Amino acid sequence: MAMAGTTWRGVCAGVRRARPLLPGQQRSLLPGSAVALLRMRWTAAGKSRSRREAAEAEADAPVYQYVSERARRADRIFTWGFSYTGALGIPSFVQPSADGPAAGRKPRAIQPVPYRLEMDARISSVACGYGFTLLSSQTQDITKVWGMGLNKDSQLGFHRSRKDKSRGYEYVLEPSPVPLPLDRPQETRVLQVACGRAHSLILTDREGVLSMGNNSYGQCGRAVVANEIYSESHQVHRMRDFDGRVVQIVCGQDHSLFLTDKGEVYSCGWGADGQTGLGHYNITSTPTKVGGAIGGVRIVQVATYGDFCLAVSADGDLFGWGNSEYLQLASITEATQVNIPTHLPFSGIGKVKQAACGGTSGAVLNDEGNVFVWGYGILGKGPNLMETALPEMIPPTLFGLSDFNPDVRVSHICCGLSQFAALTNKGELFVWGKNIRGCLGIGRLEDQYFPWRVTMSGQPVQVACGVDHMVSLAKSFI
Amino acid sequence: MGSLERSGLHGLFAVYKPPGLHWKHLRDTVEFKLLKGLNSKKQYTPKEHIRFLLAPKEGSERGELTLIAKNVPALSEHSLVLGVGRGNKLLTDIYNAHLTKDYTVRGLLGKATDDFSDEGRLIEKTTYDHVTPEKLSRILAVIQGSHQKAMVMYSNLDLKTQEAYEMAVKGLIRPMDKSPMLITGIRCLKFAPPEFLLEIQCMHETQQLLRRVVHEIGLELKSSAVCTQVRRTRDGVFTLEDALLRTQWNIHNIQTSIQKAAPRVEAELEKSQTIALDHPDPVGQSVS
Repeated sequence: MAMAGTTWRGVCAGVRRARPLLPGQQRSLLPGSAVALLRMRWTAAGKSRSRREAAEAEADAPVYQYVSERARRADRIFTWGFSYTGALGIPSFVQPSADGPAAGRKPRAIQPVPYRLEMDARISSVACGYGFTLLSSQTQDITKVWGMGLNKDSQLGFHRSRKDKSRGYEYVLEPSPVPLPLDRPQETRVLQVACGRAHSLILTDREGVLSMGNNSYGQCGRAVVANEIYSESHQVHRMRDFDGRVVQIVCGQDHSLFLTDKGEVYSCGWGADGQTGLGHYNITSTPTKVGGAIGGVRIVQVATYGDFCLAVSADGDLFGWGNSEYLQLASITEATQVNIPTHLPFSGIGKVKQAACGGTSGAVLNDEGNVFVWGYGILGKGPNLMETALPEMIPPTLFGLSDFNPDVRVSHICCGLSQFAALTNKGELFVWGKNIRGCLGIGRLEDQYFPWRVTMSGQPVQVACGVDHMVSLAKSFI
Repeated sequence: MGSLERSGLHGLFAVYKPPGLHWKHLRDTVEFKLLKGLNSKKQYTPKEHIRFLLAPKEGSERGELTLIAKNVPALSEHSLVLGVGRGNKLLTDIYNAHLTKDYTVRGLLGKATDDFSDEGRLIEKTTYDHVTPEKLSRILAVIQGSHQKAMVMYSNLDLKTQEAYEMAVKGLIRPMDKSPMLITGIRCLKFAPPEFLLEIQCMHETQQLLRRVVHEIGLELKSSAVCTQVRRTRDGVFTLEDALLRTQWNIHNIQTSIQKAAPRVEAELEKSQTIALDHPDPVGQSVS
């Protein structure tokens, strides 16, 4: 930097001279090393010869094209969190190979920041379960769904082991095609996937809903078989018995919810917390229509992940049922279990656009793009707010709203078991909550008490939260 | 000192530095004009006093300019903050408050040079017909997001405390120590390919780093860009409107300018004091 100062003085001296200095010429009063930096730039005397030469050379230089006008943005997938279950889909994290590019690396238990998962297919839907992940594409090819992670209950379907052809894998370390028993595999498209604790659901456009995995509580929508062994099972159950077409599926811990295009909700699975919303606390093994306060109401979205469920109506009203041990429904009842959908008359949250449920908390997004949280745990308003029965708004400045950016709004929210994720209209991903095994993706292993940006080399368009891992679908910037 | 007291010349004021003028020349000129003004009041003022007042502290604040002075003046026009009398201590306080500065930066798509400016050695020429305002604003949003994240990281706050949460809500978290350049806000004001105009709000910046931001924006857009103009429009509380033009460099205007700016400077310093108190010292213990 000192050299620059001497150069400066040198140029000053040069200004008063009429003749400019051509590159390579020596000037006695300057230190030799400074000569190379000398360029007569801001001379008062118009364009010098060297400048004209430089301009001509510039005009002759070749022009490179890196991307054409009509280039499409590339799709990218990022995963982060606990890797030993295989849920991140990177086998070298769990079993570093003896040769190849990953040779000699140590196994990586936790991936603390988003890591790129390479896949050729265009993934349109992703779901994270308790230690496993499902990815689906809307293709008409034979392979439409890929699974990775825990497979001890065949929640990822049957994946034949290469070493022993009669056995299946208990852990799937990289995205592997899930075999689906479709009638017309080259016409049917998979629209959405959902994952629970040990079961998963797959929504197709014309063949109903498929379910796989643990069925000890009827969560797969079929009759419970005593002493059934779920590991290495080939069974995939199909459900088509709905009044209308199913448009959304969600999995709770051990129950399943289905939303039809008529705005009706069906449920099946474990009901000890009333999470099936059918007015009793028993197991239900066939999808049954849910009544209560949502009977006759047009529901547009349902959410659940633990044992607590929320439903949003077309008018922006909120209904809840299930577990209430953590103040989720304390605003309307002292009971710790509510087995029938009840209206949640929260004032001050405006018109609800989307709801999301964690294990011990609930969150809603209203049509103004504000996020409200309630329940128990790290809710996102600092360490002092650990429980509340009434929703509290998260200050929008935490999502990037400022005088410089006055139009930042949250566009989508998602809940894991004890963490939250929010996508803004500026294409940023914010996370907060308990950082279980690095699942927040913020690079640190500490809990995050207010919304924090997760940066990745792409613009996130969708995010799915699990218990100890998260997956995000992103698009490249250009 | 006596004449200085009576003339109320203590405080901070901003002057407009046109492109092409070295800041040292400007400071000498202002100094000379002040002296002339004071002497014309027929009172004894030792020259050394004035020299001491326009202290090198201001120089260290503006230090980054000198270091890259070899091609700065052609590109930059600034409002420059100078301190007189007791204002020099204020200058130190303002420097320690780590306030942000506003710049308008003009960029040119299509070529990359070695010093990121229009007049450097050409490295590469690229096409830019695929660049749209949406793509540019996407890139700018990402840059802003990652810098805002870095701002909280460099502020060395314990994020698990309620104070850190409350400061984050108010948007007051910023590093009170040395840190690399941090952009608190960046947006595109005008886009007319190949030219574009950015407004950048940043702290701890140098002109070289600002030009580098333009270069990196070009890279992210899968094209290339050079910076053609850097203009500081705001320095802490002083905006371009407060800056005195060359014709206004006399003692009377400087006095009024100091008096006008004084309340704003005080308010800003008070705010920064409270932030500094909340910030822990680098050892990690909170200063209360």
